[in-house]
Amino acid sequence: MRRLRSLIPILLSLCALGASAQQRSLVVSGFGLNTDLLKKHLYTPFEARCQCKVVLESGTAADRLAKLEARKANPVVDVFQASDFIALEASSKGLLQPLDYAQLKNADQLYDFARDPLRNQQAVGGTVYAVGLVVRTDKPSASIASWKDLWKPELKGQLLLANLSTTTGTAQLFMADRVWGGLQGDMATGMAKIAEVKASVPTFYTQTAQMTALFAQDEAWAAPVGRFAWLNLKKTGKPLKWVLPKEGQVGMLNTLSVVKGSRNADLAHQLIDFWLSAAVQTALANDLVDSPVNRNARPTPEAAASLTWGSEQIGSLVFIKPELIVRERAGWLTAWNRVLAGK
Amino acid sequence: MTAARPGLPWWLMAPAVAFVAAFFLAPVAALLLGAFRVDDGPWGLQHFTAFFAEPLNRDVYWRTVRLACLATLAAAVLGYPAALAIVRLPARWRGLVTGLVILPLMVSPIARTYAWIVLLGRNGLVNSALVGSGAVQAPVPLLYTEAAVCVGLLQLMLPLMLVSLVSALENLPADVEHAARSLGATPLQAFFKVTLPLTQEGLVLGGTLVFTGCVTAYITPALLGGAKVLMLETLLYQKVNSGGDLPAASVIAVLLLATTVLLNQLLRRASAARRTRTTVAHA
Repeated sequence: MRRLRSLIPILLSLCALGASAQQRSLVVSGFGLNTDLLKKHLYTPFEARCQCKVVLESGTAADRLAKLEARKANPVVDVFQASDFIALEASSKGLLQPLDYAQLKNADQLYDFARDPLRNQQAVGGTVYAVGLVVRTDKPSASIASWKDLWKPELKGQLLLANLSTTTGTAQLFMADRVWGGLQGDMATGMAKIAEVKASVPTFYTQTAQMTALFAQDEAWAAPVGRFAWLNLKKTGKPLKWVLPKEGQVGMLNTLSVVKGSRNADLAHQLIDFWLSAAVQTALANDLVDSPVNRNARPTPEAAASLTWGSEQIGSLVFIKPELIVRERAGWLTAWNRVLAGK
Repeated sequence: MTAARPGLPWWLMAPAVAFVAAFFLAPVAALLLGAFRVDDGPWGLQHFTAFFAEPLNRDVYWRTVRLACLATLAAAVLGYPAALAIVRLPARWRGLVTGLVILPLMVSPIARTYAWIVLLGRNGLVNSALVGSGAVQAPVPLLYTEAAVCVGLLQLMLPLMLVSLVSALENLPADVEHAARSLGATPLQAFFKVTLPLTQEGLVLGGTLVFTGCVTAYITPALLGGAKVLMLETLLYQKVNSGGDLPAASVIAVLLLATTVLLNQLLRRASAARRTRTTVAHA
């Protein structure tokens, strides 16, 4: 009997352990890309530190935003990963909470543009990528050095552009508008310039895989491309080079936020801080998952060659104000469809 | 013999009906109702009028119906002779050929569509043959046109028509055509007066399947037509994922459903009218 009684505290503590392990699970709503590598470098090491379980929810941005809104009263997601303008949309719908920067020790090491991209302290940049140009070096496209060169008649039939339904398409329209002297509000200048070359463009691509296939089949000589697609383009074996246009590249920022009403806000902050650490950012960069936004990250030169990293790449970035995208996107899309449908 | 309990079949169906109602009918109804009302606004057709007020949307709707009709018609014209040939094969070959026919349905749509780039691209097989034979000077744009979408849809949906026609032809008694011939009908007369009327159910079924498949296909129009050749499905995707315009997306969903139901009814009516006409003519 005495022996039994001495077992009770042990049993109780075991139960408590089990219960606490059950209680804490942190839900991350993310892109669902490179999940295995993110688990390896980020989620699994974090689970070991926090004694909690990281649960992933993935899908398209529109999907995930709609879910967040539907469960506003009783949030399930703790950490929300999205493009900056999607995060701003979530923020303006009251779905995010202000970050506690005191808990984000690594935030000081971030590039300025990543520290508070929404300017309301509700998001930090987690990774950045450039939208630049990829061109064939054995065709007339080899001389391309500026966004304006995409309008050269030699590219007729071989110029590939992105559809506006993609973020690359948004970046491309922004640059077209900017380099041809638009006001960058309604993008009318950019639209009109794209309408000029419309007949030279076989298609406006909607998927990275589609764009890669068109380069691989010699159908495309030049295209605006997100840096994340560069590695697969190099693998096509075609003579391609990355061009950093003289007007700069568009920087697209993916952000991390804590969902309003999250019951695990402390863990959410810990995960984001860990995510931003130089060690995790370096590991993710070396496996080509994401380009670092932490200045102290040190990717290998081979990895850096495929990433948005280094003073030349980072220094070239021009950012689109997320509030502009949120406000104007639906209108741009209607105008865009008219431009493409017009004769 | 025991009398069947009158309520029993209903009770047996209840679990299935409840499942379908809860997980299919209710969500679909909620989705469709969204087209007639937004948030707490008034009920009405204002989203439909707004949708059709945009000339682009009218063009997209008309293009979708037109290409789907073309593909359905082409599937019937190409499918009938093939189905006739298949049912005349010896039984052991019939299985193999039918298997081959439905093979395209089993290939991943992505792989199938990339094969079209290899065929129809500027440097594709068709253009190489055209340029090589001197028929054209420079490659002609074949991809990202309405024709490319139509051909892609036809290739994708033709098996549905074939399978419907084969099963209708298999149910046709083998000797009716012989009977018609022995009474003096030419092969063509026998086909149009006997075989076709007796198998038009297969044509209605195949036509509905092909048409529905065409108007609701996403990947084929997205990759073979692209942004320049928008169809209802590709527009729907854009509205949801890039524009965040859910009312317009609900309107498109209603249009897709209404159009397919309408076509099915039209085909049935046409088939019924034809049957009546044939019966009257022979009376």
